[in-house]
Amino acid sequence: MRRIKSIPAKGLKTPAGTTARTFILTFFSVLFSTAMAVRRFPKPEFETNYIQPSTQIPVPRAELLAYLDVFVLLVSLSIVTWLILKKRSRLWVFAMSVFSLAYFGFYREGCVCSIGAIQNVSLALFDNTFVLPLSVLLFFILPLVFTAFFGRTFCAAVCPFGAMQDFFAFKPQALSSRLNTVLGILPYLYLGLAVLFAATGTDFIICRYDPFVGIFRFNASFGMFLFSGILLLSGVFIARPYCRFLCPYGVLLNWTSRFSRRHLTITPKECIQCRLCEHSCPYDAIEVPVTSKSPESRPVRVRKMMILTVFVPFIVLVFGYAGSRMQDTLAGVDSRVKLAKEVMALSGKQDAGYGMQDAGYKMQDDSYEIKAYKASGKTESQVYSEASAVVKKFYIGGWLFGGFIGLAIALMIGGRIMPVYRTDYVTSKGRCFSCLRCVDYCPVKS
Amino acid sequence: MKTGKPSLNTIKLLENISLGSAVFAVVLCVLIIVNFLQVRRADPLNSPAMTVLIEKLQNDPANDQLRQEIRTLDLLARKAFFTAQWQVRTGGYLLFISILVLVSCIKAIELIRSKLPEEPAGKPVMFWETRILKRNWLVYSGIALVVLTLLLAWLTHNDLGNAGGREQGAGNREPGTVNRESGSGSRDTATTSPDSRVTGHDSSSSILHPASDYPNMQEVKNNFPCFRGPGSIGVSERTGIPTSWDGTSGKNVRWKTVIPLPGYNSPLIWNDKLFLSGASESKREVYCIDAVSGKILWTSAVDKIPGSPSQVPGVSKETGLAAPSLATEGRRVYAIFANGDLIALDMDGKKVWAKNLGMPANHYGHSSSLIMYRDILIVQYDQRSGPAVMGLSGKTGEQLWKTPRNVKISWASPSLVTIGKRIELLLAAEPCVASYDPLTGKELWKLDCISGEVGPSLAYANLIVFSVNEYSTLSAIRTGENPKVLWENNEFLSDVPSPVANDDFLFLVTSYGTAVCYDATVGTKYWEHDFGTPVYSSPMLAEGKIYIMDKKGLMHIIKAGKEFSQISQCPLGEGSFCTPAFTNGHIFLRGDKNLYCIGK
Repeated sequence: MRRIKSIPAKGLKTPAGTTARTFILTFFSVLFSTAMAVRRFPKPEFETNYIQPSTQIPVPRAELLAYLDVFVLLVSLSIVTWLILKKRSRLWVFAMSVFSLAYFGFYREGCVCSIGAIQNVSLALFDNTFVLPLSVLLFFILPLVFTAFFGRTFCAAVCPFGAMQDFFAFKPQALSSRLNTVLGILPYLYLGLAVLFAATGTDFIICRYDPFVGIFRFNASFGMFLFSGILLLSGVFIARPYCRFLCPYGVLLNWTSRFSRRHLTITPKECIQCRLCEHSCPYDAIEVPVTSKSPESRPVRVRKMMILTVFVPFIVLVFGYAGSRMQDTLAGVDSRVKLAKEVMALSGKQDAGYGMQDAGYKMQDDSYEIKAYKASGKTESQVYSEASAVVKKFYIGGWLFGGFIGLAIALMIGGRIMPVYRTDYVTSKGRCFSCLRCVDYCPVKS
Repeated sequence: MKTGKPSLNTIKLLENISLGSAVFAVVLCVLIIVNFLQVRRADPLNSPAMTVLIEKLQNDPANDQLRQEIRTLDLLARKAFFTAQWQVRTGGYLLFISILVLVSCIKAIELIRSKLPEEPAGKPVMFWETRILKRNWLVYSGIALVVLTLLLAWLTHNDLGNAGGREQGAGNREPGTVNRESGSGSRDTATTSPDSRVTGHDSSSSILHPASDYPNMQEVKNNFPCFRGPGSIGVSERTGIPTSWDGTSGKNVRWKTVIPLPGYNSPLIWNDKLFLSGASESKREVYCIDAVSGKILWTSAVDKIPGSPSQVPGVSKETGLAAPSLATEGRRVYAIFANGDLIALDMDGKKVWAKNLGMPANHYGHSSSLIMYRDILIVQYDQRSGPAVMGLSGKTGEQLWKTPRNVKISWASPSLVTIGKRIELLLAAEPCVASYDPLTGKELWKLDCISGEVGPSLAYANLIVFSVNEYSTLSAIRTGENPKVLWENNEFLSDVPSPVANDDFLFLVTSYGTAVCYDATVGTKYWEHDFGTPVYSSPMLAEGKIYIMDKKGLMHIIKAGKEFSQISQCPLGEGSFCTPAFTNGHIFLRGDKNLYCIGK
């Protein structure tokens, strides 16, 4: 379904009655579109009062209720932001995170979430036939907007994933700089892959490999439960491992948060350099004062920066090339490519040997995909041509994905060449989750 | 504020609760995992007990007590299955609650125990040192990432190649490969046929890939790369094959070309080129003929081959010195002769490599045709001494593998078929039909079912291999890990023409000219028809018709069906021992002296 916005021609007056009618019609058609949907093949009815299980988790939500979720998100963000910046109360933030976990996690079963919305937005950007629901778009944008002004208050207590991990951060240990740096690249990779797979219409990997929805829904594969368990248990010692080293939305929030003017400060007034907060952050997000000069002289830093600037396009190209070479691997995830390979194998074309009889496939049980393909009436050529189109997308996507990673790494390196000077203990705007732990450590109160 | 004592008691209580919850959670975790694994393994509908009972019921369908037992067992099994599922689910809820209690208690303890922060001991963080370290590690990580990605890409590329990555035909190409090619600047070079009406190639598939060493399957299918067509099983997928011609009057004959030297090898076709060989006692030649005009494009003399014996091999008149058909993979063409000379020529007739395999110890003369698997040239060299099958590199002639065979001399040719996901090389020679992995030469299976001086090659369809030989038997072999003979018959046997089969029927022509049709699965004979003239050429199946060329050059075209139905008889005007080759709309026939292109 495409939604068409009626735009009156410039200079023409639209009669008020027509506008009202259009509005009412649009409103009710949107409101009841879900209710009026009729199943093409109705479910069979049983006399034994058997209740048909839902085939979709979570059950599709009426559009009005989806906007209710947006409203709850907006209110939660507002309250949490107020609690962080004005009330500065860790306890209340904790209470809000319990609410978010209950509502967005267990009640809404983790869907829709801002993290997963990245994929919907990506797909909508690259596929003009995909209709992006406004509620999903808002779930994607609202946290970013709040972050751009107030820092990552969304991560503090609105995101159910963060909330759940935060509860388990009992004995957080500081990670070594090396590990922090290396693991810090993972979210960029995950973001790049998520966008690539979504944009090519391959898969929503963030949702597929979401470690927490299984817990929210009490339903997941054994492997995913195991992954969740490992993540939560490791979270006892490495606080919020998913948020710090995997979350793709965290990359966007990190970037946006750097521009926030009203970000949380450790101290409400002037820092008294007591050092009490120095190790208070379980996420290594407190920046220490830097008043000493860099061991590298200014000319050295300038030279390094110039070299990096010259090399950035080269780095981007190298990573882009590497990404493009991965097209086979990446495209192999796509169901259309998988089907083409399966069809090819069944047609005796898997190998370039000269065994021409196609009877071999009768030996195997046809998969559901092959059965569906056979029932669809599609020709082999169509299947291959669809797969070819996908692989082509992955070739271009591979360049963009690789280039993005290269650029991110180059910028991270560049950021670490830049001079730094600060006199106070401050939160790292990009990395800070605004959890307020450090605030409790600060003896200066407003 | 109260004193610290009640807090301590509360802490103690919370600690005990959290400990209890933790223990409970761990126990539950173990139980759930065990139960889950049991549920996963359980298949209530296919339990061994149930299978036994069902088998018993099949033998005794009137036994109502047994039927009731099955129902009871089925109900029990289902109950057990669903109960286990319920246990897993309920356990999950309990686990969740216990973890919730555990987390709440620990959080409460943290809250009660919260103490004033202390100034951290030790030196402040060394900012610049850490920063430089991080920068360096970013550089290392970036390099490692690129190397890892390229390595992975390289490995993946190979994997795809093995799994069909060479499929690059526009319509039927392996998608991963084709797009890599097109994406990196489209290295594909379309070779358009000058007259597609004659060559019959789909323009979509006549794409050559200089970068690849062997063609994709569609290319192979669109051509006729070896004896009895792709896979050497006597089946062609080409269409519009003529059913009427007269070589004497020239009716429906597009062209006819004299072949300089005699040979019983059959023509093979790659794009617009036909390849044949001929030999006399003094010379051996390979010919390339333009499929459009019939003009001999080049003749390549097969001489100056290291190790080539000076004496002429003793061969029978009906085998000759150039009986084995050639093979090609579109990059090179390969020919073997009765004296063991083996040569690889490029598509322009230039020698790429040549060697002599040793004079065959063969009293009629070597006649096993060549076949290509990917870029491996496969030679069945079942001679009196040291019978073997070998795989040579098409590019260099280097021996890639050689598998000795404990068989007698064979005049049959190898076939390559797809069985399941496996490509198998099938050979026939007394005493067995044997299957090999064409990549490694490893024997996959063999079945003793054939004897004598085996001349006919094998037929294959629908997972059944058919072998036949005069004074032996006709056997239908069900393939697989444990092959077995499905049915046998020895009423009609062939010693030269090979049988051909489709999913339903097996067609056999005896050397004395009787065609027979059997049910492929059970061996019921549907019909027999005596042509009255001996047949040495192998029948070919194309467009639902069987093309049988007798020794006098009369082509009998019959319907490939349950009833005998002759469509036409078309004289060539000269005798023929050779098997026809097909392209869309055309048939190529080698007579005793001439090569014919039949069709408009």
